[in-house]
Amino acid sequence: MNIMKPHTQTSELLSALADGQLVGEDFAAALQACQQDESALARWDSYHLIGDVLRLPARVPAPLLRGVDLGFVDRLNSRLAQEPLAGMALLDPDSVVPAHGAVASELAHHRGPASNDGNFRWKLVAGFASLAAVSAIAWNASGLLALPASAPQLAQAARSPQVVVASPQGMMVRDARLEELLAAHAQLGGNSALQVPSGFLRNATFETPQNAGR
Amino acid sequence: MSTDLPPSQAEKAVDSDAMLVERTVAGDQKAFELLVIKYQRRIQRLIGRMVRDVDLVEDIAQETFIRAYRALAQFRGEAQFYTWLYRIAVNTAKKALMDLKRNPTVSENSFKSGDDDETSPLENELTSSETPDAVLASKEIAEIINAAMDALPEELRQAITLREIEGLSYEEISEAMSCPIGTVRSRIFRAREAISEKVKPLLENQSGKRW
Repeated sequence: MNIMKPHTQTSELLSALADGQLVGEDFAAALQACQQDESALARWDSYHLIGDVLRLPARVPAPLLRGVDLGFVDRLNSRLAQEPLAGMALLDPDSVVPAHGAVASELAHHRGPASNDGNFRWKLVAGFASLAAVSAIAWNASGLLALPASAPQLAQAARSPQVVVASPQGMMVRDARLEELLAAHAQLGGNSALQVPSGFLRNATFETPQNAGR
Repeated sequence: MSTDLPPSQAEKAVDSDAMLVERTVAGDQKAFELLVIKYQRRIQRLIGRMVRDVDLVEDIAQETFIRAYRALAQFRGEAQFYTWLYRIAVNTAKKALMDLKRNPTVSENSFKSGDDDETSPLENELTSSETPDAVLASKEIAEIINAAMDALPEELRQAITLREIEGLSYEEISEAMSCPIGTVRSRIFRAREAISEKVKPLLENQSGKRW
């Protein structure tokens, strides 16, 4: 049977809350208690003050220690009362208190201000820039995609007839035009400028026929 | 709370703050009040290091919490709440100083520092806004709390030491002290209450009746 006084219960809850040990119903109960118990905030403050002092390292001058200025909190609350619940509806629109219902619904789709919210021209520029970027990428992509399809056709069109010829290495398949070229230059046999049989190098040398200049 | 805590305590503290933020965003203003009370001292001390004008310190602190409140829905919990609040406070103070064309009273380091450790030397530097009376009162509060701590029964002192100084979770304390978690919670609470009773008169002298 719980024989603790409500005040003690509240304080113990606050103590556990200060340690981050409350979840669920206990957490909600602690906050509820703060709404009802005037002294709860002072206790909450003193628990934190005690922790601050106990954690102060030795030989270090103590910072300004005092109870929290509840007047400060009151003044802040007055100002906050004039504030809309900024983005409050983001998490759970239904849980916003009814008094702020209108504001909550107004902010239901608020995603926070963008830096260019106030400048329509910037939005226009950003839109054009995006469009230009997409167009450039699409242009490049279409060029790349088209190449593989057309290349084989060009190769096919350029393909020349082939012939089978006998060579010292056996039967060889050659381009017919190459064969014509070789036949036309067959009489150029002899040593090339490199002193190797020209028959081997005839494809790579461009010696003029010996009697051409005569 | 100091943020140079062992992981168990730091994680718990973050969870607690994040839950309070969540509740505030859901419309529970009292939850934000708890965050304000928890961090007001540290924020004012931080601003007091940057601003010479005593009156301006409170204005900037108010503005800091207002800005934090407005942006609360954007707090994603990726950083600790105090780290997030710290940045807002520094930016608000800088803006105020620029608006007033005043010079900060402290070195550039305090602006650049991302260190939110309350025990760092900068945090513990006395600011120009601290009058001799306030300094004396602070010293007295620290002495009374430490004396009350020493006067606690052994099991209470051990429990609150493991929690506040060693940073252990309730579960770890329960193992260390071989007692149920409920007992740990009760002992820490009783320790805090005993110390609070001793320091209460001083705090009431400073800011009027609180309890």
